[in-house]
Amino acid sequence: MLVNQFLFLGAVLFCIGVYGVLARRNAVLVLMSIELVLNAVNINLVAFGAMWHATDPANLSGQVFALFVIAVAAAEVGVGLALVLMIYRNRQSIDLDEVDLLKG
Amino acid sequence: MSEYSEFVRQYLTVAIFAAVGIGLGAGLLGLGRIFRPVRPQEQKYLVYESGVDPVGTGWSQSQIRYYIYALLFVMFDVEAVFLFPWATRLEAYSTFGLIEMLIFVVILALGLLYAWRKKVLRWV
Amino acid sequence: MLAHLASFAWDAPSVDLHALAPEIVVAATLVVVLVIDAFTGEEQRWAASSVAGIGLLVALVPVATLAYDGATRVMFGGGYVVDDYALVLKALFLLSGYVVVLLSTNYIAEGDYWEGEYYQLLLASVLGMMVMASARDLISIFVALELLSIPAYMLAAWRKRDLKSDEAGVKYYLMGVFASAVMLYGMSVIYGYTGSTLLAEIAPRIGELVTSEPIITLGIVFVLIGFGFKVSAVPFHTWAPDTYEGAPTPVTAFLAVASKAAGFVALLNLIYVGFWGRHDVYEPLMWVLAALTMTIGNLIALRQTNVVRMLAYSGIAQAGYILAPLAIAGSSPEAADQALHSIVVYLLIYAAMNLGAFAVVMAVARKTRSAEIDTFGGLFSYAPGLTVAMSLFLFSLAGVPPAAGWFAKIGIFQALASAGDTSGYVLAVVVAVNSVIAFAYYGRLMRVMWMDDVPDGDTTPIRVPTSITAALVITAAVTLVIGVVPGVLTHFTDPINLLALGR
Repeated sequence: MLVNQFLFLGAVLFCIGVYGVLARRNAVLVLMSIELVLNAVNINLVAFGAMWHATDPANLSGQVFALFVIAVAAAEVGVGLALVLMIYRNRQSIDLDEVDLLKG
Repeated sequence: MSEYSEFVRQYLTVAIFAAVGIGLGAGLLGLGRIFRPVRPQEQKYLVYESGVDPVGTGWSQSQIRYYIYALLFVMFDVEAVFLFPWATRLEAYSTFGLIEMLIFVVILALGLLYAWRKKVLRWV
Repeated sequence: MLAHLASFAWDAPSVDLHALAPEIVVAATLVVVLVIDAFTGEEQRWAASSVAGIGLLVALVPVATLAYDGATRVMFGGGYVVDDYALVLKALFLLSGYVVVLLSTNYIAEGDYWEGEYYQLLLASVLGMMVMASARDLISIFVALELLSIPAYMLAAWRKRDLKSDEAGVKYYLMGVFASAVMLYGMSVIYGYTGSTLLAEIAPRIGELVTSEPIITLGIVFVLIGFGFKVSAVPFHTWAPDTYEGAPTPVTAFLAVASKAAGFVALLNLIYVGFWGRHDVYEPLMWVLAALTMTIGNLIALRQTNVVRMLAYSGIAQAGYILAPLAIAGSSPEAADQALHSIVVYLLIYAAMNLGAFAVVMAVARKTRSAEIDTFGGLFSYAPGLTVAMSLFLFSLAGVPPAAGWFAKIGIFQALASAGDTSGYVLAVVVAVNSVIAFAYYGRLMRVMWMDDVPDGDTTPIRVPTSITAALVITAAVTLVIGVVPGVLTHFTDPINLLALGR
């Protein structure tokens, strides 16, 4: 069972996602970048899961983990979109650089 | 290594298929280009929208109330991911599995009940 | 593949309802609050807070019976463990949840908030923390983390039409989600190289991979960093002050105490059960995080003019103290035991004193409508009770006897010394220096309260609502009693032995 190409794809997606989170200013695009990272995780999990499944047919943790990641990611994004919507209603913009009333 | 070349060979099939697909499309369009007459007119470059003259730009905002529907759909759709693996082995899980899944579905249904009582499901 | 799977025999896992009773009670309360919220009018909404409070207290009953029973209950193939350690922390989460409900009752009812949903989200978050205390599996740790975080993101933004609260929520959300995504990537790598999500099965395999697989180090670091965000360790703390200031104050108290404690619980589970064999990876990481966190937290706290922000940075510094014992946890079994105990004790005491401090800030803010340090001027002249209570909590945070904080700090020093190596001693010195720095800002607030004049000359007494009084009495009693008789606390924490169960 070959997993390297999947892991490579996962690593590339992870890097693109992290870059997007750090570089993008539009809140929706940041959310999409976070989704990219989560999808990188899912690719990793499914690839590793298939690899372990090939050696030990009872080992399905990777696939199960991926299902949970999918379900929880949907909940996270639901909340995230609600927050972005609220920001948009209150200040007519979703540019994250403008969200700076509080200075850390 | 043989496993690896097997993998590459499978992708070769995909590559050939893609090349043939692109070649076919491009070839036929090019063939049409050679044989058909070319008489450009301004009207021909308008966007065709069921015979009606297009109004406004292509970018238009959709109603925000779709958002709640989309969200509810995504939530329930994604929770269904847990139902499929369960359904394939329902006989083996028997009563235990049935009760567990009932609890899961009832809790989900409570969410829907809540949305209904908060009048989210009503079209405004 | 599916046809192949269908040939497996399948046995129903044994579900120990007694062991799950606390979680079931909280979940049932959540359902009741949801139904109340959905089917009653605006006038009966107050019931939500009462039901939530009662539910959290009722859930303590099975925790007590389980503790009395004393048996370690292991479920789902080792993925869910109910032992003394988990029970002490569940009691901590339930009690902090209850105190937060007490703090919220008036605040949420009087302000511009959605009331029913507030308590639902609070209960969901407490439920997540309770699951976290028992989780010994990467999947259940992940689900528990999200169950406790997602409601917290919403609570931080709970103030309607308030730009600061929106900002608090968005910042917390983006940092939290990004951190959990990075943590998940680490988890996927760990699963990939060990073939299991059970911490107890990961531990032996991770030890074998020491030299052969550098990528496993990456996985461990990613996972620990993910929880570093949760406990607001420097340099992953940037969300904390903004979120604490912008969020409604009871939510701030909840985030600063319960949510942070849950992050530490996850770190303890992971390090003590899963990553035990790789102390060459987590010890230096924790050392650097602890030293940075306490130093930078304290230095920035010095410059704050807002009490909530000051408490936020002081909480960051305290997180540094709590991280410190993890830096020596792997050096010997005795050191590991000491470190575990000192962290659990610190978490319990930290919860009491910090919730108390927030309760006083809320009571004062009811009159002054502000949390600036100046507005506390002359507090003693018109609210002596609150001033004495605040002084007790500040003494405790600074580590001055007879308030409980000194006992917590002594525990940290003992743990650091028990390692008996240079890194432990150096870190102990860093902790000591930081404790001295912390006197400066705690002392400044004390001086303002006791000696300064009232800024606007308004000395009408503060009317403190019953629920906040109750919260103050509970937290002050706990702080004082533990400070005077530490044996009360050690009676509960001594039986804790995480090493025995996971391995």
